[in-house]
Amino acid sequence: MMINNGLDTALAAIVILAICLLGSSRLGLIIKLFALQSLVVSAIPFLLGGDLGIHKIIIAAGTFLLKVVFIPSMLFWAVRHVSIRRDTPSLLGVSLSLLLAGFLVGLSFFLAAQFPLVKITFSDLLIPSAFSTLFIGFLLLISRNKAITQVVGYLVMENGIVLFGFLLLETTPLVVELGIFLDIFVGVFIMGIFINHIQNEFDHTDISQLTALKG
Amino acid sequence: MVEVFPVILRFAVCVLFSPFILGVIGKTKAFFAGKQGPPLLQLYYDISKLIQKGSVYSRTTTWIFRAAPLVSWAAVLIASLLIPLGGLKAPLQFAGDVILFAYLLALARFFTILAAMDTGSSFEGMGASREAAFSCLSEAALFLNFATLVVLSKSISLSRMITECSWDSWVRLGPSFILIIVSYFIILLVENARIPIDDPATHLELTMIHEVMVLDHSGPDFAFILYAGAIKLFVLGGVLVTFLIPFQSRNVVLNTVILCAAMTGLALAIGVVESAMARLRLNRVPSFIIGSFVLALFGLIIALSRA
Amino acid sequence: MIFMVMGLPLAAGGLVFILPRNGQRNGVLFWTALSHLLLVASFWIYPPHSALNGFFALDSFGIIILSIVSVLFFAVSLYVPAYLGNEEGRSNHVFTGCLLFLLFAMTVIALSRHLGLFWVAVEFTTLMSAPLINFHRRPQGLEATWKYLMIGSVGIALALLGTFFLAISAIQIKSLVLDEVLGQASLLSTPWLKLGVIFLAVGYGTKMGLVPMHSWKPDAYGEAPGPVGALLAGGLTNCAFLAFLRIYQICHAAGQTEFLRPILLTLGMLSIALAALSMLGQVDFNRLLAYSSIEHMGILILGLGLGGLGLYGSLFHSVNNAFSKGLIFLISGTLYQKYQSKRINHIHGVVRVFPWTGGLLIVALLAVTGIPPFGTFFSEWMILSAALTGRHYGIAFFYLVFLSVVFIALVEVFLRMARGVPPAALVERSAKDSWGTTIPPLLLAGLALLLGIYMPPFLDQALKQSSVLLGV
Repeated sequence: MMINNGLDTALAAIVILAICLLGSSRLGLIIKLFALQSLVVSAIPFLLGGDLGIHKIIIAAGTFLLKVVFIPSMLFWAVRHVSIRRDTPSLLGVSLSLLLAGFLVGLSFFLAAQFPLVKITFSDLLIPSAFSTLFIGFLLLISRNKAITQVVGYLVMENGIVLFGFLLLETTPLVVELGIFLDIFVGVFIMGIFINHIQNEFDHTDISQLTALKG
Repeated sequence: MVEVFPVILRFAVCVLFSPFILGVIGKTKAFFAGKQGPPLLQLYYDISKLIQKGSVYSRTTTWIFRAAPLVSWAAVLIASLLIPLGGLKAPLQFAGDVILFAYLLALARFFTILAAMDTGSSFEGMGASREAAFSCLSEAALFLNFATLVVLSKSISLSRMITECSWDSWVRLGPSFILIIVSYFIILLVENARIPIDDPATHLELTMIHEVMVLDHSGPDFAFILYAGAIKLFVLGGVLVTFLIPFQSRNVVLNTVILCAAMTGLALAIGVVESAMARLRLNRVPSFIIGSFVLALFGLIIALSRA
Repeated sequence: MIFMVMGLPLAAGGLVFILPRNGQRNGVLFWTALSHLLLVASFWIYPPHSALNGFFALDSFGIIILSIVSVLFFAVSLYVPAYLGNEEGRSNHVFTGCLLFLLFAMTVIALSRHLGLFWVAVEFTTLMSAPLINFHRRPQGLEATWKYLMIGSVGIALALLGTFFLAISAIQIKSLVLDEVLGQASLLSTPWLKLGVIFLAVGYGTKMGLVPMHSWKPDAYGEAPGPVGALLAGGLTNCAFLAFLRIYQICHAAGQTEFLRPILLTLGMLSIALAALSMLGQVDFNRLLAYSSIEHMGILILGLGLGGLGLYGSLFHSVNNAFSKGLIFLISGTLYQKYQSKRINHIHGVVRVFPWTGGLLIVALLAVTGIPPFGTFFSEWMILSAALTGRHYGIAFFYLVFLSVVFIALVEVFLRMARGVPPAALVERSAKDSWGTTIPPLLLAGLALLLGIYMPPFLDQALKQSSVLLGV
């Protein structure tokens, strides 16, 4: 069991930021916390140890540009006309969501222990953090009403999946990584446009009130 | 064989230095507000002024009201004997003393709450109920923090726990260390009724918690209450500071000086945090404390997975 | 050649955004579709070489799916000018552009041999089809698109996670190119493979619209315009089905088919059951068709899970289903245009007023419900016989029950729409069928019928080869 402290701190910071995201209700704060979390994620390729190849630099730079610069600015652009900037969880409430997040973190550690890695090269916190971020992102997605928070929840899920992807940093071809970046960029772009449309059409971005289609 | 001089020294530091901490916090906040602020030794002046005054007791109060200030002051003083302060060892250590520590603080709070309810006024009762509600959550978080320390240091004596986990064992502990610090700092703010939980300067009914409980005390009673508050901050802060101080020297006096400097640093940090944040709405405070709880839980889970 | 068949729609999509006039854009759409079709046809005769180190290659699954997509797209490209010509005079650059990018992405899906690249293309299809759904600019359209985007994106994210798990299980193979994975399948780590398969099934199942990840489908298909629905139901679902075929290939090579089989059977039966029951009492025509699509996806997965003859039947069904769904969605587009409503009780008397469309409506009914001599009958029959030979009597029984329920629901609705007296407004306007909206569905109907009567040898060979790849 290897212990790599820079990496461990970064991974813990990612999960902590995810928990903070879950606890905040201001839209601006949520987007900024996501940007901060993505900053930490983009620093992780350098903390993994091993040599500093051009591959790692491109991936880190790509993650940084995409998730720390472009996507938060797109999200802020989409929010600029929204009148209500608060978003509290509808079903659960903040306290219960936080407790549920703590439970999910414990569940992630349990799950990680069930699946041994053939060749453990990095920290033993990597897989639990990845699962935790994934679960918390999913929780954020389904427990909130506003469209922007749902998009941020989806992006936090992506961050968790990206952490899994770091396990495979050597074997993933650059083309695929760039393709993933492109997908996320276009995805958030299109989501931003639709949030704009929804705001224009309905004068709010509360998804829970879009219930016209049934059956 | 316990040496007498260090014990007397630390007791003196505890008793004499703690009001200074509150003065530092006040000056820091005033600095950020662009004001002069009260003098650093303000609390000393307040305590000496109050002791010379007489007390006024309401007819509805009983002996609890008279006993509460003394009980809380005594409880926190005894609690100060259980913790290591900087390089100074705790005079009282045994297995499980962490529980005694937590419950001594709880005893102090318990009597304060009883005294507040003893006055029969709904104003104090409101403060008492708020304090009780928040302390439920913060005690749970505090115990989780201690549980993480127990797992990491493999002992349940407060002194062993804190001194085992010194700065250079961060290599072993990693993120648990940082999580404990952050979570404990939040609990520090909650227990001592600082912003963002409670504003010690406000006297509005909607927003008071701690202030309103002690509204009826006067004279020497109030002096003891203020003093107990200062010592409680010193004790809880001392735990955190000892956790953070990277080295300890042989010289007892040098250790004491380092301790005082570190406590002043902590007071500055608290002052900065208080100036930077606004008081939370009352119904958001539980979420905040639960956030600290979850951080401590996360630290515990990491520690357990490494154990 | 492979790069040409991929690059053509990509370049055309870019071109469309530069061109100023609608007519020019329609022209670009048509010529791209035609060229694509001709290229794919040439691939049947001269199979292309693999490109980019084995990242892109055409195997028998790929050529079948690619041909389906190409034919459907060609029909849609003929239909779109007539359809858009009747809509308000809006600029169609987003519409045609997204259609072309969609074709590009579907081509990449069919040709990709690297599972990561495969995923990138599938996600891209979700993103490119979302703006198409909201074409009519109704509030319900926004709601449907948002649900589609969100559920689709989450599903695809889970599929990415599954891909990563698969890559972790293949960590000793050091590559995710399908050929290499299949070749060294004994090196796959089983717990990670199983976990990966589960997430891939959930993720790509969301894309396909299997129960219980189907909730976006009725809304999205319900709001999408006809030609978009045709592409989604006929093309995209088959691309998602290709994902399942790849998963099956890998599981078969690793000896884990017994793990995958119950998953497929459960998903298949659940989809068929829920879709059949939801079709009863449905008031919106497009939503009805969406549930029909869910049902057919269930049949596909069921056939895959049954194995044996079911594999051949499933692949054959994907072809038949594509054409019949294309047909019925184009018809639904025409009906929406003429009647200005999607509700079933607003549409009646089709045969009287639009004889061609009405006739095609009846033909579509026969094709979708699986009446001989349409191809759908034979493929569904093959799956049934696979169930019986494999002694899955319970599955066979419920399969028949639910297919009968579907038949009853569809017959009732379609006949009600076709017969009767047309609304007075239409008769007064003396509305007529137009060539543009009739020829494409006619083409697809002809193909659906043809496949039932006569199985072209090249198709038969491709289907047999695919079954061999799946381990029959």
